[in-house]
Parts: sequence; C-alpha cells; structure tokens
Amino acid sequence: MTELAVLAVIGLGTYAMRAAFIVTARAAPAGLARLLPHVGPAVLAAITLPALLAPRGTIALAETLPALLAAATAVLLWRRDGRLPVALFGGLGVWWLAGLAAVSLV
Amino acid sequence: MSRVATTSTGTPAIGPVRQGCRDSPGVVVAYVPFGVALGATLATTSVHPLLAWSSSPLLFGGAAQLLAVQLIDAGAGPAVVVLGALVVNARMLLYSASLAPHTRDWPTRWRWAGPFLLADPVYALALGRFSRPDGGGRARDRLTYYLSVGLTLWVAWLLLTAAGALLAGALPAALPLELAAPQSFLLLLLPMLTSRPAYVAAALGGTVAVIASGLPLGLGLLIGAAAGVGAGALTAGARDD
Repeated sequence: MTELAVLAVIGLGTYAMRAAFIVTARAAPAGLARLLPHVGPAVLAAITLPALLAPRGTIALAETLPALLAAATAVLLWRRDGRLPVALFGGLGVWWLAGLAAVSLV
Repeated sequence: MSRVATTSTGTPAIGPVRQGCRDSPGVVVAYVPFGVALGATLATTSVHPLLAWSSSPLLFGGAAQLLAVQLIDAGAGPAVVVLGALVVNARMLLYSASLAPHTRDWPTRWRWAGPFLLADPVYALALGRFSRPDGGGRARDRLTYYLSVGLTLWVAWLLLTAAGALLAGALPAALPLELAAPQSFLLLLLPMLTSRPAYVAAALGGTVAVIASGLPLGLGLLIGAAAGVGAGALTAGARDD
C-alpha cells in the first residue's frame, strides 16, 4: 500500500525533525543558542497573526475588525480569571455578535 | 495555563501531572473545530477514510495531514507528497532546538520518545512552563508535565479527527469557529512577551508572516518565524553592547 507507506515516511521525517535537537544532550553552539530564546515568540506570532487578521483567508474590514475585537475580549477575560475555555468562548461570542452586526450594517 | 499557578498563591503547589491535565483541556477545546473539520475533510477525499485518518497518529499535525491527503487525493507522486508535507512540518526543527535546553537533563529514552508528541500546542504549553522563573521545576517535573500535555493532546487529536471523519456530511456547513485556534495561540503567546527582544521577535514574526501568507506549503510561517528570530537576536545583541 503506497499511500500508507507515504504517510509513514512523512511521519518518520517529521519525527526526525522533532527529535533533531532533543535526543542529543549536548549544548547548542553559541551562535544557535543566541537565537533560541526568540523562537517561541516569533513562531507563535507567525502562527497567530495571519489567522487573526484573516480568519477566513482574506483581510477585509468586515472580517478583520470582528476578529480583533474577539481577540481583545479573549485577552481581557484571560487576564481577569485565567481560564482558557472561558476566554476562548467569550472571544468567540463577541466574534459572532460582531459578525452579525457587520452583516446587518453592510 | 501558567497563570493558574501564579494566581494560586496560598494554596500548595500542584504537581506537574495535574498541572498538565489542567492546562490541556482549554487547548483541546480550541482544537475541537479544527480537528473535527479536518477529520471530515480527510474523509471526503478519494483516499480510504481509515487510511486518511491514520495520518493523525502517524503525523500528529493538522496542516501536514491536510496537505498530504489532498496531494495523494489529487494523484501527486510519492516524492512530491513527502517533500511538501515535510516543508509544512519544518517548523518542528525550530521547536526541537527551542526546547532542547530544557530537555537535556531528561533520561535518554525519554529524549528519544518525547519528541514524538511534539506539536504546535504541546510546544507552546511546554515552553510557556519551561520559561517560568523557576525553569519549570526539576527535570522530572518538566518531563511529566510535557508527557501529560503531549499524551492528552495526542489522544484528543485522534478522537477529534475520528469524530470528524464519522460525522462528515452531518456537520453544519458554516459553524463559525475558525477563530478558536488562533485565539488560544494568542493567549499562549502573551506570557512569553516578557522583554523587548521578545516583543520585537513577535511583532516582526507576525508581520512578515502576514505579508508572506500567500505563499504555499506554510512557507509564510517559516519566513515570518525566521525574520522574528533574527530581529529578536539583533535587539538582544544591541542591548548587550
């Protein structure tokens, strides 16, 4: 079954990349070590920002503004009580309301 | 969330397993729409549903699974499928390098087994904990936390994508939940913004990723991440001089 073999090879290759720096207990060379602290903020922002500005693939006022309002709500809720599900659904609620408002205005 | 632990002063510190089990559900909830939608999408291709779903335990990463199954569906050659999916997953190299300073004191067998569970949300939760002032605790605590989070999300991912495959066709067409995952990543990102270089890395990484978001194979993410890492290092270097 070639298809299963293809998926297994991708799985192996992905595992190799996941394990590349973790299996060895040696410290990273100084040049690389200087870059590592910035990976977290950079990658997570690169995942988050495009998806927040264009939740359905395009940046447009009627799409982007409700999404930003929702994100701001989620951040505020999370700052207040620290529970991710509460913040998440609060944000989604604002997003739905703002989406309805945007539709009815246009 | 790491925030839970910091606000619960006065109560005894809770163990890493319980903390991991407490941090995971929020992220699982955030992954429900993506997991279910992905499972449904995979099941509607010409690839056998069970085979398509087997990409969940094998790859444990939605973007690469989607690309691989869609390329197979479109009749692309094996080499193209493998290369495309590996480019999508290339960010795992970054995650591996970024976590390595915190995993060096783990037992060897766990340094081999642990990476299997490394995915976007696992990385974000683990790094969030390891970046705390106490470094996330002793080696054993860090390992237990990582494994609790990783296993919870791995099992949840298998179940969510399976549910999506079984429900394919019965799902409402436009359930507006696209924002759930980016919102949760935003909440995982914020606690990492503790210094000027971190802000610069995030600002540039996000902006460049937006500009490059039209590129295929998730390359926009990789280019944004590279730009952010470089900018963060430059900012930190400039402060040291």
